Amino acid sequence: MATTESIQKAYIDYVLTEGQQPNSVYVFAKKNKMAEDEFYRFFGSFDAVEQSVWTGLMERALTEIRAQEIWPQYTAREKALSFFYSFFELLKGSRSFAVYSIKKHRSLGTPKVLEPAKDIFEDFATNILNEGLETAELSDRKFFSKRYKDALWIQFGFVLNFWINDDSAGFEKTDEAIEKGINVTFDLFQRSPIDNLFEYGKFLAKNGGLKEKMGF
Amino acid sequence: MSNEEAKEQNSIPTGKVERSAKFVKTGFKIGGNYIKHYSKKLFNPDLDRSELNEDNATDIYQSLSELKGSALKVAQMLSMDKNLLPQAYVDKFSQSQYNAPPLSGPLIVQTFKKYFGKTPDQIYDKFNIRSTNAASIGQVHQAELDGKKLAVKIQYPGVGDSISSDLKLVKPFAFRMLGMSEKELDVYMKEVEERLLEETDYELEVRRSIEFSIACKILDNVVFPDYYPDLSSKRIITMDWLDGMHLKEFLATNPSQELRNRIGQALWDFYNYQQHELRAVHADPHPGNFMITTDDKLGVIDFGCIKVMPDDFYYPFFSLTSTNLFEDKEETIKAFRKLEMILPNDTPQQIEFYHGMYKQMISLFAKPYITPTFDFSDKTFFDDLFGFGEKVSKMPEFKQARGVKHFIYVNRTNFGLYNILHDLKAFVKTDTYKPHVENGRN
Repeated sequence: MATTESIQKAYIDYVLTEGQQPNSVYVFAKKNKMAEDEFYRFFGSFDAVEQSVWTGLMERALTEIRAQEIWPQYTAREKALSFFYSFFELLKGSRSFAVYSIKKHRSLGTPKVLEPAKDIFEDFATNILNEGLETAELSDRKFFSKRYKDALWIQFGFVLNFWINDDSAGFEKTDEAIEKGINVTFDLFQRSPIDNLFEYGKFLAKNGGLKEKMGF
Repeated sequence: MSNEEAKEQNSIPTGKVERSAKFVKTGFKIGGNYIKHYSKKLFNPDLDRSELNEDNATDIYQSLSELKGSALKVAQMLSMDKNLLPQAYVDKFSQSQYNAPPLSGPLIVQTFKKYFGKTPDQIYDKFNIRSTNAASIGQVHQAELDGKKLAVKIQYPGVGDSISSDLKLVKPFAFRMLGMSEKELDVYMKEVEERLLEETDYELEVRRSIEFSIACKILDNVVFPDYYPDLSSKRIITMDWLDGMHLKEFLATNPSQELRNRIGQALWDFYNYQQHELRAVHADPHPGNFMITTDDKLGVIDFGCIKVMPDDFYYPFFSLTSTNLFEDKEETIKAFRKLEMILPNDTPQQIEFYHGMYKQMISLFAKPYITPTFDFSDKTFFDDLFGFGEKVSKMPEFKQARGVKHFIYVNRTNFGLYNILHDLKAFVKTDTYKPHVENGRN
């Protein structure tokens, strides 16, 4: 009797051994001694299998970090860091698949296989960012605060690519990339001189006659 | 919370470019400090350089403490040689022995997961994610397991990688601050690099700590934490938490002379037992590595830096300090040659000069060894010592490299020891563990 996991496993084994997707679901099902419609009970396509592996990893990472005793004490910044560390630690166990999947589906924007995972990620990111905004850890800026989660997703894509090319022992360099990257991103989310500069500009615009001179 | 957060450092600049940028920034600031100093001096010609030194020290310290790792270590080393540095530098650098900003909590959890496959919560009954203090290449956290209070030392990632490039970056500053020649500094830097790289190997440190604490068990009033190899790895060390005070805090409690002597004696015995019986010595005698425990004993908490003393250094050096060798000029010069304090190409005048200077220097240094007891509160001894150091550091003859590399850590160890004993104002029996050298030989 097939399960989601058994199909994922068989599929990963196939692509890693053969270096490509099976020619058809029929071939794949036959090889794994199951009926074709059994496959379709779980997945609509091979890409859907890959997508489910990614979402599975992401959900596992989230469950893991949320189970940590320290979790409620973390700031938004630390929660993001914690997610990144855990996710990439888990990903190590499926590195070959991850590298295969990303390289195969490389595209300019978000690769298709990562789309459902992105939804999960954005849910998580929105949550912690809202927390951060509520506690005033992060700076609430018109228009921009809505885009913070996109910045984190870009960061995720960056670290993922960094990790794929990382050849340091224990992927220690990836740890450093996470520590630095996430911190820089959150530094930008925090209240910074830019906010003050912006406010000063607003003040001048209102009071300094700048408005007339600038023509608005 | 957010205040605490703000102090927490969020990244170590690890790329070489990034770190260089830090140093360049510091360079600019120091330039600025000089401008500030001289513009003030325009109006007040009597202004001395202490404010300038202080400004410089603050800026250098800030950039070093952001860099962490080996740069901080070098700051610590520099702070040991009080005689070589203006007081303002010393005060600022001494801070680095106690606090530097910590790393993020999730990175700590990640380090544990990487080496043990578990989070600190799963390993210990309690684990404080906020570090209690920095240990220069790592930070220390408090934990609890089975009712025992533990100290958990965690190393920053990428420290080993950055040591060599850090030292290269520190070099120009060291030139300026110490006024050494490049060749002299190279000898120094290479030896330091070796020791520092050893220090990043926490597995080695645990092994050594256990070895040394067993070997030193016979000493009175010296205690060591127990180490837990099962809970230690390449980047993590778990040991018992020693309750007590650091030296500065201890001295602030105004301890009795008797107590100060007792701690001083423990310290003296600890070092001389290692030098003369074990021939390998805990070469990091900065006050942060010691605790005065609640039952008034000396706790030793860091065996990261061990200097092994080879025979070809040990015998000539301690023959000079502890025998009547100086009475025989020929033999003395022979020993100086072995220690490369007199070099093969030296002219007879140079030999005469260095013989005189080094004899004076070593006689001064060896003073505590000559008599069976020594009073380290004796200010004149330290004034002589520092005065001599200052005089020598200004002599052009001493700008070039002299002396084998082993002197770096042996001097650091012994000056460090003397300094702490002086701070303690301790009266010490100095004949407890004597050098194994015989009169008139070697």
